[in-house]
Amino acid sequence: MSDKREQRVDDGLDRGRAFQFSVDGETVTAYPGESIAAAMLAAGRAAARRTAKRREPRGYHCGMGVCWDCVMVVDGVTDTRTCRTEAKPGMRVETQHGVGQRT
Amino acid sequence: MIEVDLAILGAGPAGLAAAGEAVAHGLRVAVVDDNPRAGGQYFRQPPAQFRRDGGSWFDKEATRVAELLRVLDHPSITYLPDTVVWDVPAPDTLAVAGGERSGRVRGRALLIAAGAHDRPVPFPGWTLPGVISAGGAQNLLKGNRIVPGRRIVVAGNGPLLFVVAASLVRAGAEVAAVVEAAPINRRLLHAWPSMLAAPKILRQALDYRLSLLRAGVPVRTGMTVVAARGADAVQDAAIAPIALDGSVDRAVSETIACDALVVGFGLTPSVELLRLIGCELGYNRGRGGWLAVRSDRMETSVANVFAAGDGAAIGGVEIALLEGRLVGLEVAARLGRAGNAEQRRAALRDQLDRTDKFRRAIEAIFAGPSHYLGLLTADTVVCRCEEVTHGELQARQAEALDSMIQLKSTTRAGMGRCQGRNCMATLASIVSEASGTPIAGLNYPRTRPPVRPIAIGDLLHEPIPPPDLPADPHLPRRQNAS
Repeated sequence: MSDKREQRVDDGLDRGRAFQFSVDGETVTAYPGESIAAAMLAAGRAAARRTAKRREPRGYHCGMGVCWDCVMVVDGVTDTRTCRTEAKPGMRVETQHGVGQRT
Repeated sequence: MIEVDLAILGAGPAGLAAAGEAVAHGLRVAVVDDNPRAGGQYFRQPPAQFRRDGGSWFDKEATRVAELLRVLDHPSITYLPDTVVWDVPAPDTLAVAGGERSGRVRGRALLIAAGAHDRPVPFPGWTLPGVISAGGAQNLLKGNRIVPGRRIVVAGNGPLLFVVAASLVRAGAEVAAVVEAAPINRRLLHAWPSMLAAPKILRQALDYRLSLLRAGVPVRTGMTVVAARGADAVQDAAIAPIALDGSVDRAVSETIACDALVVGFGLTPSVELLRLIGCELGYNRGRGGWLAVRSDRMETSVANVFAAGDGAAIGGVEIALLEGRLVGLEVAARLGRAGNAEQRRAALRDQLDRTDKFRRAIEAIFAGPSHYLGLLTADTVVCRCEEVTHGELQARQAEALDSMIQLKSTTRAGMGRCQGRNCMATLASIVSEASGTPIAGLNYPRTRPPVRPIAIGDLLHEPIPPPDLPADPHLPRRQNAS
C-alpha cells in the first residue's frame, strides 16, 4: 500500500510526525490524531471486514459510529469501530471476519 | 447521580447553544455526548494534535466553534464526552454509560438534541467499501482532513450533496459528477426571492455552487445512482433518470468510473430517544421523516422534555442554534431565572422565522422522488447488519407476513448493531407502498433500551436494584427477603 499523500488536505495544517501501523501485515502511514479508517482510506484501502453470511467486503460508511460497518480487530480486540478509534504507532489492525468472537 | 436544572443529550449546535443560554441565566447544566470531542457533526473538529494556522477554507467556522465550545469550561456545566445515553428510565432522567461515567443524570428539564443521520437508500452495491454516506464524507474531511478517494461521484438528493461536493473540490479531489435526483434547475427561479430572507446562508450556498462551476463539475439533475460496482471496493457508479413518482429508466443508464461514491439522500432526525420517552412524533418527509411534535417553546408532548436541532426536525445548523437558545431561555424562565425573557424570546423567534423561510425555499427546490424502491433488485441488501435482501423480504410478503413487525421478526431486518437506523426507513417505505398505508400510519417495531449498543463493561458503575421477584415459593429467594 502506498501512502497517497494527496488524499490528505494540508492547507493551513501541520499534522506532525508520521508513524506506521499495520493492516493485515501491510504497513500504513498515519499522523497523530487520525482515525484508523481515515488513515486506511488515505492509503487507498477501503475494506475493513467481511460479513458473516455473504462474506462481502464492507468498510467506512456512516463515519459517525452508527452503522458498525468499519469494525476490525484492533490489537486483538474485535468489533472495534475504526471510524472512531485513533491510529497509534505499531498498532496491529486486522480484517474482521463475521461478527467477531472475543477470545 | 448527577442532578442539574437542565440535562442535555447532545453536544452539537442545539445542545451547546441551549447550554450557553442556560448557564448565562445561572442554571446548572449537564451535557452528555457520545463523541470524544464536542461540536456534533456540523462543527466536528480535527484532533488537538493537528496544528492549524486558521488560514484554511476548512477553518472558516473556527471562531464560531471556539465561542460555542467555550461554554463547556463554565463552572456550572458538567460535560460527559464519550458517554452514551442508553435509556431514559423516567422523563427527567438519562441513563448514561461509559465505564467510569455510567449512572444517571437527572434534570428539572430535559433537552434531547440527538442530531441526525443519513436517510438510508439501498441500491445494488451500496454496501461496497468506498460507498460512503454524505455525513461520513463530511466527517472524514472535518475530523481528519482526508478525502475518501481521488475521483469521486457525489449522488443523492438534497442541499448537503452540494456542500459535500464543494468541500471535496476545495480539498483538491476530483468530483466526477454531482447526481441530484430532484429537477432543481427549473425550480430555482421560482424559489429565489424567499431565499433572500437569510442572506448569510444564501451567500454560503452561492459559494458552494461557484466552487463546483469553477472546477467544471458536471451537475446531473433528475438522475440517481442505480448501482455501484467493484470487487473489493467501488470502481464505478451507474446513473439513470428518476422521475418524481420514483420510476427509474434504466434503459438510458451511464457509467462513471470512481474510487469513491458519496451518497446522501437527505438526513433523518435521530428520534429513538423521543420514541422511547413516549413523545408524540409526526411524519414530514420534507423535514427528514419522523420528527418531534413541539410547541413554539420547543417542548415535546411530554412536559419539560424539549427537543431541538436536527434531532427534532431537519433544519440545519442555524435553526439548531436558535432552537437551542430558545430551550435554554425557556427552562430558565420556568425556574424564574430569565428576567426579561419575553424580549429575548421574541428576538430569537424572529430570527428563527426568517431562517425558516429560507429553509422552506430550499426544501421546495430539493423536494425529491416520493420513494427510491425502483432501485431495489432481489439481491439488493436492505438490512446491512443482518444482510437481509429485498428478495427475502418479498418472499415473506408473498406469505402475507407483510407488516413491519412481521418482516422484522421473520427476517431479522433491523435486529443488528445499527438497531434499524439503516433499514427501518426502507422497510417502512416497502410496507407503505405494498399496503397503501401512509408511513405515518404504520405500526413500527417498539424502541427498547439500550437504544445504542453498549458493552456490559460500560455499565461498571450502574446502580443495580435488587430483583423484584414474584411470590413464588419455587423461585430462589434473596437471603434478606423473608
